[in-house]
Amino acid sequence: MADLTTKLGPVTLKNPVMTASGTFGYGFEYKDYYDLRKLGAVVVKGIAPFPSHGNPTPRVAEVTSGMLNAIGLQGPGVDKFLTGDEYMPFLRASGADVIVNIWGKTIEDYCEVAARLDADCAGITALEINISCPNIKEGGVAFGTDLNLAAKVLSSVRKATSLPLITKLSPNVTNIADFARCAVDCGSDMISLINTITGMAIDIKTRRPKIANLTGGLSGPAIKPIAIRMVYQVAQAVKVPIIGMGGIMNADDAIEFMLAGASAVAVGTAIFADPYAPLKVIDGINDYLEQHNCKSVAEIIGALRLS
Amino acid sequence: MKTGEIISNKLIQGSYFQVDFYAPEICRAARPGHFVHVQIANLTHRILRRPFSICDCSSDGALRVLYKCVGEGTTALSKLQPGTVCDLMGPLGNPFLAPAADEYPILVNGGYGAAATFMLTKESSNGGLMLLGARSASDLLLVNEYEAAGFEVRVATNDGTAGHQGLVTDLLQQVIQQETTRKWRFYACGPEPMLMAVASILQKNHLSGEISLDHLMCCGVGACFACVVKVKADTPEGWRYARSCKEGPVFNSEQLYLEK
Ligand SMILES: Cc1cc2nc3c(=O)[nH]c(=O)nc-3n(C[C@H](O)[C@H](O)[C@H](O)COP(=O)(O)OP(=O)(O)OC[C@H]3O[C@@H](n4cnc5c(N)ncnc54)[C@H](O)[C@@H]3O)c2cc1C
Ligand SMILES: Cc1cc2nc3c(=O)[nH]c(=O)nc-3n(C[C@H](O)[C@H](O)[C@H](O)COP(=O)(O)O)c2cc1C
Ligand code: FES
Repeated sequence: MADLTTKLGPVTLKNPVMTASGTFGYGFEYKDYYDLRKLGAVVVKGIAPFPSHGNPTPRVAEVTSGMLNAIGLQGPGVDKFLTGDEYMPFLRASGADVIVNIWGKTIEDYCEVAARLDADCAGITALEINISCPNIKEGGVAFGTDLNLAAKVLSSVRKATSLPLITKLSPNVTNIADFARCAVDCGSDMISLINTITGMAIDIKTRRPKIANLTGGLSGPAIKPIAIRMVYQVAQAVKVPIIGMGGIMNADDAIEFMLAGASAVAVGTAIFADPYAPLKVIDGINDYLEQHNCKSVAEIIGALRLS
Repeated sequence: MKTGEIISNKLIQGSYFQVDFYAPEICRAARPGHFVHVQIANLTHRILRRPFSICDCSSDGALRVLYKCVGEGTTALSKLQPGTVCDLMGPLGNPFLAPAADEYPILVNGGYGAAATFMLTKESSNGGLMLLGARSASDLLLVNEYEAAGFEVRVATNDGTAGHQGLVTDLLQQVIQQETTRKWRFYACGPEPMLMAVASILQKNHLSGEISLDHLMCCGVGACFACVVKVKADTPEGWRYARSCKEGPVFNSEQLYLEK
């Protein structure tokens, strides 16, 4: 066994493989499949200060080598998340490392949910801030696509909690490195990327959009080359640890992200095809390290050869 | 044999196929209304599994699915040869409640909906009635099998090639209006507009039934919120979105929130 222990700034995980927010529910849904402690961390579906219905249906469409989704962040809200049997109390009892993904419609929402989780933080390893949501006070511009808005929300959340913070970047921007630097300047301990890429699909028989929301976020293998490029660019721009994701289906994909500069990875859409995908990625990374005589994962992070 | 191995896979009529998978563990746990989430082995550039109702389970571990070729996944499935292994998740979902000893089951089905309720025939001590609707006579599924299991079958076709010309909901209205002393229990599965019409007829007549819905699914286990349906709830709007893979696919008709 190679040493899979992964150091992410203030956080140490037993291995570098987590689940991507929104693709693994609250862990509870997969409790009968395997022991959640086998995962580097469970990243839960986005939590807001309020309960939320999400978008109308259909919410997803399958496309070549990927899928579009516009779930619209359906969720129980932070109060129920902290007290409901199938949420945080279950996760605490499971002994898994838990990262809570947070979102809001205003800066105040983000601060409120961060402060609530900070006050009741037993079992929470870190918060991941999803800044790909529209800001309803600023005409619906996504926080994560406007540097000023991103800076405001990220520095406000930093003041609201002392938990380790991960900023999850939106790929729907021209220069991803600018947003990574902004996150670090605002006190983020880590960067995760990429969230989904805005896309669209049309049913040619009915001439209607395939998802009710018109546009949706593209995920799955279709986005992996874009994600690898962005992880590489961010790794060149900042020193904080990076959690890479976007289309990881197997260990080879995960290793590609690590060579590009990611210290850890998240598996998302692949879980829909195979709930065991994250565990297979962990095993496959170990096999790769052994075959290449590496003693630890640290040896392959950013180990891309350019000459 | 390996779990998930195809024992047989053949055209039964029109564009309907029947596949038997070797899946003894799923067979042991399966209840009427459960579904399996199938990774179609040769569908490599697609990621998502395809959900199918469990039509039948045999004591030697053969799990039967009856499917209609409608798109890429089902077409790919129809080409798989015996011996091919597909990964199966299941049994999944919230099944039908079996009829009580004194209840007479009335099934209202459209198309492959007849497959979803077939295992109920083994749970009823009083036989039952199936109302089956389809476009045309060649789309009527499992009629002989239901009759062999002691169920009466009444059919409706859109084109009048068999039974009543019209909708299966016409037959349902007739049954409800007929004087009867029997204690009914309604079950329904089929296309969404038909199911919503069934739910609305039942609600108007102060009756209830169990309705199995087909919604597009990703995870199949309640993790992604792709498959949601509106159910009545104590919210300002009067409804909430329930995950049909976990709280369903079977819902009580009284639970469903019908849009005006
Ligand atoms: C609980 C449940 C039970 C089902 N039982 C049966 C059954 O017993 N027999 C049968 O023939 N079909 C059944 N279906 C429908 C079946 O899942 C779809 O026909 C199938 O997924 C179509 O796949 P495709 O790739 O051929 O079609 P495509 O149209 O190419 O599929 C594109 C995408 O849409 C999804 N999709 C398309 N139609 C449906 C649909 N009606 N319901 C859900 N997802 C859909 C597919 O899964 C895929 O993700 C059931 C669906 C559900 C949810
Ligand atoms: C159905 C679905 C729901 C998602 N929900 C969230 C979410 O709540 N918060 C978030 O930050 N990202 C969410 N994402 C994005 C994923 O976490 C991930 O960034 C993206 O899907 C790329 O990884 P993948 O290709 O491995 O899925 C969601 C993705 C999918 C497919
Ligand atoms: S399919 Fe994922 S929640 Fe139902």
